[in-house]
Amino acid sequence: MSNKVDTFAENIVKYKWPLLLITGIITVFFGLQLPKLSINSDILKSLPDDDPHARLLKDIGINFGGNNIGLLILKTDNIYNTEVLTHIATITDSLATIEDIISVSSISNIINIEGNDYGIEVGKLIDPYALPDTQEAFDDLRKRIRSNKLYKDAIVSKDETSALILFYLSEDANVKDVAAAVIEKTEQLNLPEDLYFAGSPMLVSYISDLMKKDLVRLLPLAFLVIALVLFLSFRSWMGVVLPLGTAIIAIVWTLGSIAWLGYNMSMISNNIPIILLAVGSAYTIHVINKILLETDQQKSKRISKGLASVTTAVVLAGITTAIGFISFIFGAYLEMIVEFGIFTALGTLYSCILALTFAPAIMSIGTRHSRKSSSYTKFRIADTIASQLVQMTLKRPKRIIGVWLVLIAVGIAGIFKIDRSVNIQEYFKEGNPARTAEQIMMDKFGGTKPVFMRFKGDILNPQLLQKMKEASEYMEQSPDINSTLSVADLIAELNFAITGERSIPEDPEQIQQLWFLLDGNETLERLVSPDLNQAIIISKFKSPDNQSKLEFSDYMNDFISQQRSETIDIEITGMPFVDVVMDKSLINSQIGSILIALLFVVIVIGLVLKSFKYGILSTMPIVAAISLLFGIMGLTGISLNIGTVLVASVALGIGIDYSIHIIAQFNKQLKIHSNLNQAIYESVATSGKAIIINCLSVSLGFLVLIFSEMVPLLYFGVLIAVSMISSGLGALTLLPAVLLIINKENNE
Amino acid sequence: MNKITLVASLILAGLFFQVHGQNPQEVLKKMDDLMSAPIDRVATVQMTVTNKRGESKTREAELKQMGAGYRLYRYTKPENKAGIATLSLPDGKMWLYMPAFGKAIKITLLSKSQAFTGTDFSYEDMSGIPYSDRYTANFENSQNEKELLLNLSPKSKQTEYSRILLALNKQYGYPTQMAFYDQNGAYIKKADYNYTKQGGYWYAKEVVMTDLRKDHSTAIEIMNIRFDTGLSEKDFTIDVLKTPSESD
Repeated sequence: MSNKVDTFAENIVKYKWPLLLITGIITVFFGLQLPKLSINSDILKSLPDDDPHARLLKDIGINFGGNNIGLLILKTDNIYNTEVLTHIATITDSLATIEDIISVSSISNIINIEGNDYGIEVGKLIDPYALPDTQEAFDDLRKRIRSNKLYKDAIVSKDETSALILFYLSEDANVKDVAAAVIEKTEQLNLPEDLYFAGSPMLVSYISDLMKKDLVRLLPLAFLVIALVLFLSFRSWMGVVLPLGTAIIAIVWTLGSIAWLGYNMSMISNNIPIILLAVGSAYTIHVINKILLETDQQKSKRISKGLASVTTAVVLAGITTAIGFISFIFGAYLEMIVEFGIFTALGTLYSCILALTFAPAIMSIGTRHSRKSSSYTKFRIADTIASQLVQMTLKRPKRIIGVWLVLIAVGIAGIFKIDRSVNIQEYFKEGNPARTAEQIMMDKFGGTKPVFMRFKGDILNPQLLQKMKEASEYMEQSPDINSTLSVADLIAELNFAITGERSIPEDPEQIQQLWFLLDGNETLERLVSPDLNQAIIISKFKSPDNQSKLEFSDYMNDFISQQRSETIDIEITGMPFVDVVMDKSLINSQIGSILIALLFVVIVIGLVLKSFKYGILSTMPIVAAISLLFGIMGLTGISLNIGTVLVASVALGIGIDYSIHIIAQFNKQLKIHSNLNQAIYESVATSGKAIIINCLSVSLGFLVLIFSEMVPLLYFGVLIAVSMISSGLGALTLLPAVLLIINKENNE
Repeated sequence: MNKITLVASLILAGLFFQVHGQNPQEVLKKMDDLMSAPIDRVATVQMTVTNKRGESKTREAELKQMGAGYRLYRYTKPENKAGIATLSLPDGKMWLYMPAFGKAIKITLLSKSQAFTGTDFSYEDMSGIPYSDRYTANFENSQNEKELLLNLSPKSKQTEYSRILLALNKQYGYPTQMAFYDQNGAYIKKADYNYTKQGGYWYAKEVVMTDLRKDHSTAIEIMNIRFDTGLSEKDFTIDVLKTPSESD
């Protein structure tokens, strides 16, 4: 093994030019793929097809256009005002001109069918050519809206300060283009009222924009921070440029691979560049660290020796980190998480390869014999910290273990307090218009999380319509459901207009004939399938709270199991249901991916170092760091969501590297020094410096994310920094303490 | 406008009229006259609605029409719609008879832009009010030698269209195509006419209205048409609507 590694290291130095050329060609190839890269932040498209709720939700989205609804909220003092109504009509007409918006619906154009003494009135709720302009006319309009189940609290808020304008996008619409056109058109109108945008298309667009903004703003900042730490550590351009250069190349290769293979960036894979910046720089830091510590006079020998001594550890670190990321594919619910796992693992391997090839190849260019700088050794802070920590550990190993046990216990206690609410509002910072819009939707229009109940059977059958009506009434009794809409409501309203009874007629012929009046109405396309064998009840769920979603799910499933029959099939889905499954899967995939990653790490390290004891020991600091991480999340109220769920595995992937370097070094030092304390001291002194430099640069690099506009990303940065510091400290204190005690016992 | 421009405009306008030999409003009026030439008509109307997936639904109705103001449709197909009838009267009133409810219901249409019973025609398209009463016509240049092209601008703001581009057969004056533009100037619908002559009257044997935004169309085919059958106002009453005669 050792010979092979030596040969490998010598070959890297020998074939530096071909290596650099190949690296350049690959980088140009992947660089040319980058313009093809696009961001898709639509969570719905990432739902798995094997989950019945997700499948039904997608199916309803395609067949009834249920998921492609944008919402515009107009907020003012009082909606019942001629000028305000004119503005609503102007917006409605203006949005209708946007390509890929099929229809727009608001108080200004909504169809109204009403019964009166002599027949029925079919028309619009308000006459667009004669808007109400007297108190009497406004009172009449208010009365008509409040008395109609279809409009009540759905197009004008109860407090009469907000009106809703709904716009429906075509199936194949470019969501981002439509969202941009909606914002541009409404801004051009320069209206005095406050306008807010909500609904899936607008949210997807907001998130994409924020992601882009964050990438453009924060990635360079993270580079700067890491560069500064590296400069302070290595005091040479090589020490700054090489770690960052390999990271940049690894990022280009990874993003290029994503584009080349036809994938999109998602709101999760958006983090890949920042993660690779940390991972990619770490491997190179260790390589540079070892090469700079070599004392041979000949430069090529210093490089090949240094490289040979660190190769096994870097390869192990690369494999284990990749395992950490690849473990996401086991049990992950969202396809975007699986893609994130695969591509980050790939990026990790790229980083590892580059650190072992590109970095030493660059270092070996230039004068052959000079040993220019000893400035690296001047970075005394890292040395001092490493030295202090190891001395403390050697003096009081049991106390160190005790402190860690207390920290782990506190962490475990906090785990039970982890909040798992999936509230889209919390993705945005206070004051962000998307957050305000979601809040208004929740306060005034019953939320934005769609709920759909699908009925299969003969839709014009009175029994089925009656069941739909009962289901709507049952659903509306839930505290989280404001209102529902179904074809049964439309039939009942029409029947009321004609007969004075708001019910489903028992005579099938009457239903057929009422259908004659409804046929061709645009609303029907969103409620009934063209062949009349499927219909849906549409509603919105208010609470972001997970428990409420679970209760609602049980409440509705009770009803469905009682009402299903041979001729009528009933199913329910919607974001609350998807959230419940997603929540379960978050926990399962979190636990699953950590366990799988730990198991693989034990096996890989055990096999390579020929000791499963070392394999198990190497996981200790990271287990402690993860317990602490979850504890902090629980105690500070940072919720586990699709952003923060990645932290533990990222922390595991990167943090395990520290243990590997300490153990690999300890294994080597133990063979050199017979004294256990000396072996431990040398291990921490040799690898500790690189760990501290890496820990500092990664933590500070990730802390840049506190400036992110996206709250999950902000927490992601803070939590990664916390994890890095705790796993770094674990590797430099807990691991040596355990190594000391175990080996002492063995010796005795 | 200075005098020279005014004179130039008048000369140009004069030249334009001379080219076509007539005033555009007169051309439009002639089209209206051609369309409403029969005193009455009785026919079978087949309506085929096709959605963007290419799925079609067909309805059939017996039509009785007197002038432009009186119109009675009684549906015969599909079976579950059989017996439903609508009666339009000259004052814009509309009555609907649904046999399962056993009563005629007066329908007040507050919005003429709504779809006519599930078709791509709006109530405004089906109103029967002469185009020359509702629109001001101007000539447009046509590439087709056999056609005249008119740009129709609405006289009232209370319409769903900002303009209609009307193509007419130059020789006989019947419409061949209408292109409808919404209030934002977008081209939203088109109607293609297939006119034929029977018993001295030109009539639209087939009209296909296509909604360009929804990729949805309605074809109306007129069959078994008879003209001047001697219908009178008593054939267009609520009682007739509720109790079809045997001839219906």
